[in-house]
Amino acid sequence: MTDFLNLVLEPLQEVFSAFKAFVPNLLAMLVILIIGILLARFLKAVLVRFLLAIGFDSWSDRMGITTLMRKGDLWAKPSRALGSIFFWTLIIVVLMTGVSALNIHAIDRLVEQFFQYLPRAFSAILILIIGYVLAGFVGRAVLIAAVNSGYHYAKLLAEAIRLLLTVLILAMVLEQLQVAPGIVLAAFSIIFGGIVAALAISFGAGGIDAAKRMIERETAEKRAGDAKDDIEHI
Amino acid sequence: MTTILERKEVREQIGNIRTTDILVGIPSYNNARTIGHVVRAVQAGLAKYFPDSKAVLVNSDGGSTDGTMDVVHKTAIEDYQAILLHHRIQPIHKIATPYMGLPGKGSAFRAVFELAEALDARACVVVDSDLRSITPEWIELLVKPVLEGGFDYVAPLYHRHKYDGTITNSIVYPLTRALYGRRVRQPIGGDFGFSGKLAAFYLSKDVWQTDVARFGVDIWMTTTALANAFKVTQSFLGAKIHDAKDPGADLSAMLYQVVGAAFDLMETYRDVWKPVRGSEPVASFGFEYTVGLEQVTVNVGRMINVFREGLKNLREIWLEVLGNGDFHEVERLGALGDREFRFPLALWTRVVYDYAIAYHKKKLPVQHLIKSITPLYLGKTASFIMEVESLGQHEAEAEIEKLCLEFENNKEYLVNNWK
Repeated sequence: MTDFLNLVLEPLQEVFSAFKAFVPNLLAMLVILIIGILLARFLKAVLVRFLLAIGFDSWSDRMGITTLMRKGDLWAKPSRALGSIFFWTLIIVVLMTGVSALNIHAIDRLVEQFFQYLPRAFSAILILIIGYVLAGFVGRAVLIAAVNSGYHYAKLLAEAIRLLLTVLILAMVLEQLQVAPGIVLAAFSIIFGGIVAALAISFGAGGIDAAKRMIERETAEKRAGDAKDDIEHI
Repeated sequence: MTTILERKEVREQIGNIRTTDILVGIPSYNNARTIGHVVRAVQAGLAKYFPDSKAVLVNSDGGSTDGTMDVVHKTAIEDYQAILLHHRIQPIHKIATPYMGLPGKGSAFRAVFELAEALDARACVVVDSDLRSITPEWIELLVKPVLEGGFDYVAPLYHRHKYDGTITNSIVYPLTRALYGRRVRQPIGGDFGFSGKLAAFYLSKDVWQTDVARFGVDIWMTTTALANAFKVTQSFLGAKIHDAKDPGADLSAMLYQVVGAAFDLMETYRDVWKPVRGSEPVASFGFEYTVGLEQVTVNVGRMINVFREGLKNLREIWLEVLGNGDFHEVERLGALGDREFRFPLALWTRVVYDYAIAYHKKKLPVQHLIKSITPLYLGKTASFIMEVESLGQHEAEAEIEKLCLEFENNKEYLVNNWK
């Protein structure tokens, strides 16, 4: 009878001791989560106030970030959107830290992998943001310069440059995220090579007449302009 | 910040000369072909009109590789009697030195201001090194109002071809006049006289890493003098004829530097210009006479084409800057045929004011904003050229006067939108 009772109680004792060992970890996780969420909310509020103070929203308007957000159906102010991104990033970090406090081997490995990947994700986001702003800036500069030179295909040229830069930036982002780097490199080479080949074929064979007309039109107008204009603007 | 006074040879020359009455500055960059004439005119002017005054000629060079500074050193009037003059009583000292800082006219002027302050000059003059029409009288007309009239700043007054100087005629002159209430006809003329006191004031400003160091220096000098209540006048110098212009000079880069500097000064002096209404003439010196001017040929069709390209491609930018109302008026111009193309004065005035407001509100990166005005400016220029094609010089000037009045009458629009 005693043996039978031992057989029943031992697993229960083991479960109870395991539970006793687990409770502090659970409490630790709850504390980390509560403090983490409160801290994240506080830091979000500080960040939003700081962004408002430095005029981040009007800067975003100028740089076209707001327009991009609207195109993506995001209607929050850029400062609040960035605050939310920052908040949810912190929440994910807090969640991962909290879960790791449970000391479960499988979760620990997952958390470790997550934190190892985090710097890459951040730098990819950074490359994406800077790249987008840069592509927009360069594209607009090319557009204005081409229009001021009287070039007929200004928009086409500016869009082509913006597209090339975007492709380059996306390739960099994917490479940074290590999403099938071999395929990304191959795809990037194929796209770039494809664009160059398409241009070569369209100008060299398929669109030889159109290309000839474009070049002749530009050259003739430039020649006419050079010959006739000697006004002093300043 | 580095200055030319750190150079040993310059310090030695300052030590030898010590003080001067008149300092004449000539900024240059590869002007060996023309600077000799300018130096001779300056020397003759100093000999003829200021024989008893101590004078220094400063060539502030941008690193010429064609021997410009050698020409300055070697140029001298060999036979004063041939130009009906006697030798000067006082010698003319020459300092030819490369300037320091950003490459540009403004940095060259800064070197002149530094030397003027170091030599305690009473009156200073700056003249361009590519002038073909400069005469000895220019020195008298730019110096005497300072030395004898008590003025601090002497702007030039030229006769120019009715098609020339369109940035001045359609933007800088009307805008400066409406803002500061003084009719300085050539605020970016390039050849100025000023007192030693004003040179020291210019030098006290920390602007030498901005566009003032480049083309923007002319409007900056004039505006600084006007906004700080220095005594301003202008002298009639006759015709302004340059050496053949640099074909590579980029119009939108010039517009960016000049208009950018003017808009930037609006920020600095907003409390000065906001209450000003109307304008008053400034005192003028010199004997006005009619001069024969070189023929100027223009390609109006190309200008209108650039305007239309702008309308087609810069729609988003123009809408953002001009707003719906003015943009649609501009859009209507695009539908006109070449010969009917006319840019209404009121619309052009609002365009310039809208750009100033957009600059103030930082609606776009500055370079993009100001360079995007180029097609509009070319449209306005084409319109002006067609309007005055059959008119004489005086009638063309009357058209510019109408534009100036439009700027003055619409100033409320600028003030009300400047938040």
